[in-house]
Amino acid sequence: MEIPFDIGNISGPENARIARPEALGRAIKNAKRPLLVVGSEILDDCLIEKAIAIGKKGIPIAATAHSMKGFVDRGYTENVYLTGLHELANNIESGDWMGFDKTGGYDIVAVLGGIYYSTSQFLIALKNFATDPIVRCISIDRYYHPAARMSSGNISRKHTDEFKKMLDRVIENI
Amino acid sequence: MGPTPMPGIADLRNWDYKLLKRYKPFYAPYCEMCCFCTFGKCDLTGGKKGACGLGMAAQQARFVTIACLMGCSAHTAHGRHLLRKVLKIVGDREINMGTGINIEAPLTRLITGIKPEKLSDFIPVLEYLEEQIAQLLDSTHTGQEGSNLDYESKAYHAGMLDSLGKEVADLVQIVAFDLPKGDPDAPLVEIGMGCVDESKAVILVIGHNVVPSVAVMDYMSDHGLDEQIEVAGICCTAIDTTRYSQKAKIVGSIGRQLRFVRSGVADVIMVDEQCIRADILEQAKRIHAPLIATNDKALYGLVDRTNDSADDIVTILASGKEPGVVILDPVKAGEVAVRVVQITHEKRKELVNILTDEEFKEYVTMCQNCDANCIVACPQGLPIGEANKAAAKGDTTPLASLFDPCVGCGRCEQVCKKHIPIVDVILKASLPYVKSEKGMIRVGRGPVLDTEIRKGGAPLVLGTIPGIIALVGCGNYPNGTKDVYRIAKEFAERKYIVVLTGCSAMDAALYRDKDGKTLYEKYPGDFAGGCVLNIGSCVSNAHIHGAAIKVAAIYARRNIRGNYAEIADYILNRVGACGVSWGAMSQKAASIASGVNRIGIPVVIGPHGWKYRRAYLGRKYVDEDWMVYDARDGSKVRIEPAPEHMLVAADTYQEAIPLIARLCFRPTDTSMGRQVKLTHYMDLSMKYLGVYPDDWHIFVRGEADLPLARKEEYLRILKEEHGWDVDLEAKNILSGPVRKMDVGFDATNLEELIKKNE
Repeated sequence: MEIPFDIGNISGPENARIARPEALGRAIKNAKRPLLVVGSEILDDCLIEKAIAIGKKGIPIAATAHSMKGFVDRGYTENVYLTGLHELANNIESGDWMGFDKTGGYDIVAVLGGIYYSTSQFLIALKNFATDPIVRCISIDRYYHPAARMSSGNISRKHTDEFKKMLDRVIENI
Repeated sequence: MGPTPMPGIADLRNWDYKLLKRYKPFYAPYCEMCCFCTFGKCDLTGGKKGACGLGMAAQQARFVTIACLMGCSAHTAHGRHLLRKVLKIVGDREINMGTGINIEAPLTRLITGIKPEKLSDFIPVLEYLEEQIAQLLDSTHTGQEGSNLDYESKAYHAGMLDSLGKEVADLVQIVAFDLPKGDPDAPLVEIGMGCVDESKAVILVIGHNVVPSVAVMDYMSDHGLDEQIEVAGICCTAIDTTRYSQKAKIVGSIGRQLRFVRSGVADVIMVDEQCIRADILEQAKRIHAPLIATNDKALYGLVDRTNDSADDIVTILASGKEPGVVILDPVKAGEVAVRVVQITHEKRKELVNILTDEEFKEYVTMCQNCDANCIVACPQGLPIGEANKAAAKGDTTPLASLFDPCVGCGRCEQVCKKHIPIVDVILKASLPYVKSEKGMIRVGRGPVLDTEIRKGGAPLVLGTIPGIIALVGCGNYPNGTKDVYRIAKEFAERKYIVVLTGCSAMDAALYRDKDGKTLYEKYPGDFAGGCVLNIGSCVSNAHIHGAAIKVAAIYARRNIRGNYAEIADYILNRVGACGVSWGAMSQKAASIASGVNRIGIPVVIGPHGWKYRRAYLGRKYVDEDWMVYDARDGSKVRIEPAPEHMLVAADTYQEAIPLIARLCFRPTDTSMGRQVKLTHYMDLSMKYLGVYPDDWHIFVRGEADLPLARKEEYLRILKEEHGWDVDLEAKNILSGPVRKMDVGFDATNLEELIKKNE
């Protein structure tokens, strides 16, 4: 059994199922309205290239923290939307929010590159309160996130190459 | 006298509900279960209720209420303790805050209606506080409140009480010990781990209650020992000791505590209350420094020797027969600390507490970079193993770079399979940095002067001073202390009023610009645009509320006594201010934020702040949430979301800075004021996020609100991207804004303030 990246972060009786990258990719692919939420850590280790690759598959990207600057610097802003993580969670929980493109809410939210603990709280907020309609959350990050429905396992920074390969497998399946 | 002197739990509920309607509580449960009673544990997930009938939202709100009560109790009990001690030590004293201050206690007047004239006038204020705390805590018992919104109202109430408790505490110590009374030229003192002279005997004081430290300074002064002994402080006791005597030095904020203690520099450690490591006795033993506990709230299992003679206690501590003692008489504690330190300093001279080069090498080589334990135990997830690995190869830079983002908790050491003293290893690697950590800080100046408000009130309300940025709270930063410096510097350069207290005030002082100046040396100390002020310790936060209240009282001539809702309504609609608690950690920070929120000031917290479980977030697209009255005729007006949130987290300082600027908008900004605020909001977004914000247009009420330098560009964007009807040639907005600018607009959320047809 995987442990949370922050070992004390066990919030309740139900924890995320560890999923293979292929399954995570397919979950995004099969969603009607998927959303990728990225944070400031995508600016490290060239993870932004992976986010852009997902964006190019037509998945809208919510750029939280100051990750937007990374997209601007790379000239990719087509389906990238600036937001705060708290504000985003608040909007997603609201059944009447029409999404960034004003055509509807999201049914799958995938997280990548956010600060571990704030992302964890983001996920647990959605798990408990984004219920009408239900929004499912998955983590494709280097951290195991117990508050998600499905999550990748912890991958140490010393194995960043492995993490990138994992992300490639996710992307291949979107 | 207004309608609500000494309000009870339900008396300001109407105001709270107005806030909660617009800024709805947002919950991110840190724990999905409840284990408060023997019915439990109860699983509250999936919409389930606990055995008592309480659901997830109400449980989160209940938990926040309890946290706020802890914080409010800490400040109030601190005030009670201070008052009791100073009445005994210096007697009752007249409250004379000097010629610049007539409104001596704005929160006391606002909340209780009392206008205190002497210290003992705070006794009924404390009695009111203590009763309210007891009533509120009762409401959190199983089988009481069932509504999350009413728990939020109670959390607000606790926050308001917290602000009052802080005011009492700070005014008592200001009056009793003659601390600065709003001095814009408060003296500069040294700060930093490198500022302590290790060749002298060193007394380390930790905590928040300054009375024993004052006794130390007095005893040293009376016995001509000022030059022989260093008094260095950590946390708010440090700030307050320097307000009393500039011979004291500040080591730093809470995050430096474990590291400084481990450095072994202290020859005696004296603690009072709050923010002390619970294992301080173990840490003191480790460096062979005796511990003196001076407050009954933190006794550490030590023998109470309050009634023993000072001679006997000195003998016991100097001989090492006991690792520490309790002395609840602050004057005696001060004497003992000074006498003991002279003996222990000589004894400890040969001790080496920093790792030797050989020990350091051995430890970093032992590390297998397993990443199995330390990294998942670290609250920051710092890559300790990788840094150790680099150090083993001779490169200590990665390890040294962990010093500042490390919060100094020591959780890593407890889980290391190799038993590596990781805190010591990081300290050793960063020793050159530590030795050079020398900043300058103005001592806490205390309240904002009435005369400063007379000068600055108008530009603040009109918006031409774009806002007050109040950096307060603890040191649980996401990425080290420098973020606070960066935020303060950015807003000071833009002529905001920047005020700081507590850990934030200290941490911002550690950095220098290219000319070698710290913020406090570079920017003026008077309350005006472009200033950087150290207001003081945590309890001095009350003066930031006080400044906003004084704007209503002095500039707008509103009655403040017993008139909380009207003044909060005034501040919410007119005073562009934003609190920032970038390293919020404690329950005190929770109650501080709730108190600031209830009075109508939004707060931005750092990413660790998510763990408080609750935020107050607005939804700018919901029209009905942004309706206010025009008090002139009672008509309802849809305003722009100003301010948009009451309590919101940001992940990085780059995200926080534009967000803080956004939260300084107010509906009554003049066009000139709105221009200034919009300019900063857009500039800061472009600077830190690379784009203009996607919501800037909703703050535009007409062409006069647009910054002149880029008016044409912005008009074009409004027309082309937002579909507004704009005459580009005439530079006029024909339609588009949510409302037009109205110079006479008298915004209020309170029906009772609508002027009746006369």
